Amino acid sequence: MRQKVIVIGGGLIGTSTAYYLAKYGVEVTLVEAKDIASGTSGACDRAIMLQSKNPGPTLELAIKSANIYEKLEDELEVDLEYRKSGGMIIIETLEEMQAMEHMVERQQKAGIDVKLISGEEARKWQPGLSNDIIGSTWWEGDAEVNPLNVSFAFANAARKLGAEIRLNSPVKRLITDNNRVIGVEVSGERIYADAVVVAMGVWTPMMLKPLGVEVPIIPRQGQILVSEKLPSFLQVGILSASYISNKLKKNHEDDKKDPFGVGLAIGQTHSGTLLIGGSRQFIGYDKTETNPEITRKIGEAAIRAFPCLKKVRMIRSFTGLRPYTPDGKPILSPVSGIDSLYIAAGHEGDGVALSPISGKIMAQVVCGEKPEMDIRSFSLSRF
Amino acid sequence: MDDTIICRCEDVYLSEILGAIEEGGNSFPGIKKRVRVGMGYCQGRVCQPMVSNILLATCQRNTRPVLQRAQPPIRPVLLGDIIKK
Repeated sequence: MRQKVIVIGGGLIGTSTAYYLAKYGVEVTLVEAKDIASGTSGACDRAIMLQSKNPGPTLELAIKSANIYEKLEDELEVDLEYRKSGGMIIIETLEEMQAMEHMVERQQKAGIDVKLISGEEARKWQPGLSNDIIGSTWWEGDAEVNPLNVSFAFANAARKLGAEIRLNSPVKRLITDNNRVIGVEVSGERIYADAVVVAMGVWTPMMLKPLGVEVPIIPRQGQILVSEKLPSFLQVGILSASYISNKLKKNHEDDKKDPFGVGLAIGQTHSGTLLIGGSRQFIGYDKTETNPEITRKIGEAAIRAFPCLKKVRMIRSFTGLRPYTPDGKPILSPVSGIDSLYIAAGHEGDGVALSPISGKIMAQVVCGEKPEMDIRSFSLSRF
Repeated sequence: MDDTIICRCEDVYLSEILGAIEEGGNSFPGIKKRVRVGMGYCQGRVCQPMVSNILLATCQRNTRPVLQRAQPPIRPVLLGDIIKK
C-alpha cells in the first residue's frame, strides 16, 4: 500500500515538501488554511543569496538548494523568473568593512568564492551606486526567483503527480493515538495518514502546543516598499552590510538600540518594480500594518545607496512575518516522543533560498530514506 | 471578441482571471498572486471591483470575496518626498 502523508501549510516549504513527496510516489494531501503563498511566502522579496548565509549547516543547505534551483524551471516546466544575477553586500563605513572582511574570509573557507571589491569597482558592476559606498562584496553565484511562482509551481506540480491540494482548510487539530499522529481534523472532517508534516512557518507553534510540544519559532516582522516600474536598472541583488548585522543579531536586547532593524535589501522584479526592504522587528502576530517611520528609514537607506531613487515613486508597502528561530537555523525534524510527526519550518528570511532543499530533505526523511544531508543540526531537540 | 482586459496596469485578461479562479484563487489577493492583477501603478483601484464581481458570479457565494488590503502610500509618492521630515 502506498504511504499516505499530510502536509500542513501551502507556503514555499509546504508546497515543496508536497511536491517531493509526490515525486517519491507518496499519496499526498496538502491542507492549507487559506491559499497557496497567502502568508509569509507571499510577503517577501526574491533573493536567493548565499553569501548572506551564516557559514555552517545553513550555508551547506543553501548551496544544495541553489543547485536545485538552477534546474528547477526545466523540472517543473514553469517560468520561475529565476536569474543568476550575482549579489553584492555594499559597505558604507570602516567598521562595516572590518565585519565584512571577516565574513568574506569565513565564506571563502566554506567554499563560496566571494570577493571584496572597491567602491569604484562596485559602481562599475552596478551603475547608480552612491560615491559614498566605500566597498562591496561580489559573488556571481547569488540568484533571484519569484517566490510566488515557486509556491504555485510546486503546488501545481504536486497536483499533477496526484497530490490533493485542499485550500481554505484550516486544520483544527492533529489527531493522535498512543503518542502517534494519525491524521488531522479539518472543518469537522477527519483525514488519516501515515505521517504529518507541519510546514506552517510562524504559525507552527500553535499546531504543536496542544500536544505539549514547544516550538521556539517567533514571528519577526519585515517591511518592504514597492516602486513603480523602471527600465532594467538593478543588475544584481543588493544588501547593505547593516542588513547582515541586523540579520545576525540574536537577542531582543539588541533591539533597544535600533528597534526597527533597518538594513537595505533591494532587487528588481521581472515586471520592473523595485522591492526595497527591509526591517526586522519582534512585534507579535497581530500588528501587520506598515509603519510610516520604517518606510522612511528604509527610504533613507535606499537613497544613501542609490541617490537616483529620490526621483522614483513608491506605489505600495507591505509587511510579512518571518519565522525566527533562536539560532537562525530552520527546523527540519521529526518530533521526538510523538511518532509520525515532522516539522519543516523556522526559515526566517531564508525560506526562498531553502525551499527546494527543505522539501526534498523532508520527503527523504518521511519516506525513511537517508537524507542527502545530516539534519541533526536542524533537529527540534537542539533547543 | 473572446477576451476582455481587466487590469490595464498589468495587462491581465478575463481568461487569466478565470484560470486563476479555476486553480483555487477565491480572494482578490489570491488572484493577484497568480496573475498580477492589481499589482500595478493603480494598485487595484480600477480592476478590484471587477475582479470582485467576477469572483461573486463564478463562485456562487453569498459573502463578498476578501479584497486587497489598502497599503500606504495611498497614491504613488516620490521616495525623496517620503524621507522628508
